[in-house]
Amino acid sequence: MSKVIDVELRSLMKKFQNNIVVQDFNLQVEQGEFVSFLGPSGCGKTTTLNMIAGFLDPDGGDLLIKGQRMNGVPPYKRELGMVFQTYSLFPHMTVAENIAYGLKLRKISKSQIQERVGRVLDLVKLPHVADRYPKQLSGGQRQRIAIARALVIEPSLLLLDEPLSNLDAKLREELRDELKRLHQEIGVTTIFVTHDQEEALSLSDRIVVMNHGFIEQIGTPKDIYNRPASEFVHTFIGKTNRLEGEVAGHEGDSLIIQTIGGLLVEAKSANLMLLPGQKATVFIRPEKIRLSADTAPEGRNRANGQLKLSSFLGSYTECEVQANGHSISVKLQTVDKGVELVPGKAVSCSWDAEDVLVMPAERG
Amino acid sequence: MTMNKRLSILLLTAPSMIVLLGVFLLPMLLMLLLSFQNDEQAFSVENYLLFAKDPYYAEIMWRTIRVSLWTVLCSLVLGFPVAMFMAQATGKMRGIVTMLILAPHLISVVIRNFGWVVVLGEKGWINEVLLALGLIKEPLRLLYNELGVVIGLTDSFIAYMVLAIATSLYAIDPSLSKAASILGASRVRTFFTVTLPLSLPGLVAGTTLVFSLSMSAFVTPALMGGTSVKVMPVIAYEQIMATLNWPLGAALAFLLLGSTILLVTLYTRLIETKRYKEVFSS
Repeated sequence: MSKVIDVELRSLMKKFQNNIVVQDFNLQVEQGEFVSFLGPSGCGKTTTLNMIAGFLDPDGGDLLIKGQRMNGVPPYKRELGMVFQTYSLFPHMTVAENIAYGLKLRKISKSQIQERVGRVLDLVKLPHVADRYPKQLSGGQRQRIAIARALVIEPSLLLLDEPLSNLDAKLREELRDELKRLHQEIGVTTIFVTHDQEEALSLSDRIVVMNHGFIEQIGTPKDIYNRPASEFVHTFIGKTNRLEGEVAGHEGDSLIIQTIGGLLVEAKSANLMLLPGQKATVFIRPEKIRLSADTAPEGRNRANGQLKLSSFLGSYTECEVQANGHSISVKLQTVDKGVELVPGKAVSCSWDAEDVLVMPAERG
Repeated sequence: MTMNKRLSILLLTAPSMIVLLGVFLLPMLLMLLLSFQNDEQAFSVENYLLFAKDPYYAEIMWRTIRVSLWTVLCSLVLGFPVAMFMAQATGKMRGIVTMLILAPHLISVVIRNFGWVVVLGEKGWINEVLLALGLIKEPLRLLYNELGVVIGLTDSFIAYMVLAIATSLYAIDPSLSKAASILGASRVRTFFTVTLPLSLPGLVAGTTLVFSLSMSAFVTPALMGGTSVKVMPVIAYEQIMATLNWPLGAALAFLLLGSTILLVTLYTRLIETKRYKEVFSS
């Protein structure tokens, strides 16, 4: 069976006055897929969502929902569900009336409405709050009701506009799992806007990383994390060590880079188009680096230095090592008992060639 | 400590208390007593009975209420869109509109009413233009009738309506109308199911204010209603200043006050249901 495309964005463009805020946006979202728009504030992710919702009209390109061109169609004719950052529950209606709002507009019978409201309240596990007013609910409860209100109309597409950012850390995690569970149960096609990489990584089937109105990369969370298409993607998602240097040579399918500090870094399956002498940047994730107390001679993918800092953070410990003029951060699982982490101690960092990422240095 | 605090509150409010007591409460009390006097200065309720017996007074009372209700309706219908515009505008634009609304109040109401006389009169420019265009054969009667009074009162009091409603609209989260829209509500539907119900506190404040002010207005009905459209404040004034029948004038004034309080109380009771209190209490 061929895949069903629920949403299609073709070279979508939006400008405010002469400022282009979204450009050349191309995306196909499959039925049942969970896609996140991830990027820093001002990257155009919310603008794109507002175009899909119909609050903004694109200045170029086409928007298709279920195969129908939606440019210029007002939001109330699009049959979408949307959850806002500020919950946006109607304060003058009870929870049940809030949820029933969209159903009443669709001229559904009273008994049907009652049944569907009850069902969706069970779904978000809040069957007892039906007669309360929004202000009598906690932040987490309000957002669950907002989700229920969006889902009850059985929308063709669910839009989530940073729905977790107004909640405190613990609640955010709880609701994130809730969203995941709901998506697995209902399977509604979902577009989720967030600036939080963890939310995007944990929830999405695919992530669209955006910056300055452009798409930097579209891929699965693992792709985005392990095979970033650009330096921006790599540094925006997760912590990383960034070492500058230049290409020293090729060795089979490996690339050898000499860093400014004189370290020799070997990278497997890197971009072999890089020529010797060309400036390049090396990235290594802190959790991929091992720490040991031996004083083996320095070599490829090995740096001897001095432990500067170590912060115990429960399940892991973050260290900073000064080696060859580079400051290298290392993330150790706390179960590692090999090295005593006393600042000032001589240590050795090492990593595998498979975990090294090389990119041509950005001009400028 | 508390003694000191109480003493300072007493001392701080004393000047205004003395003024209020001396020039407001005391004269009111004297007027109330006066309204229960007959020609021989003995206690009697005949001034109030006269109101019940003579349909002339009842008709004027009804006209006063009718004119006030029309003024409320006109201010509401004309003022709500302005308030909506202000709620959607930027801070700077809000300031400009507020200034434009309040600016006419820098001029005496007498002068503004005469301005209306010039505009609405038989030889006023509205009639001249309509006649010249051939849309009417005879000049319209826009003055010295209830219509004229309603026009004048609306002009005087619409600012209170606009500002009261705008204050309520400012407090509404703009994403609520987005939420209504995505759930399937057209703009008109959104207005009646979300914006209007949430602006109720401002709407109640505005209508109550405009109604009370219209009931007690004297200058505008006197200037724009002429002798044919008398309202309660005007006949109370006539009794006191022209006929020199102070007891009857006082009785008419208290009847006006009593009916205004009664109507406003009934109105707010009707609107402020249990649900209203639950939603809008902070």
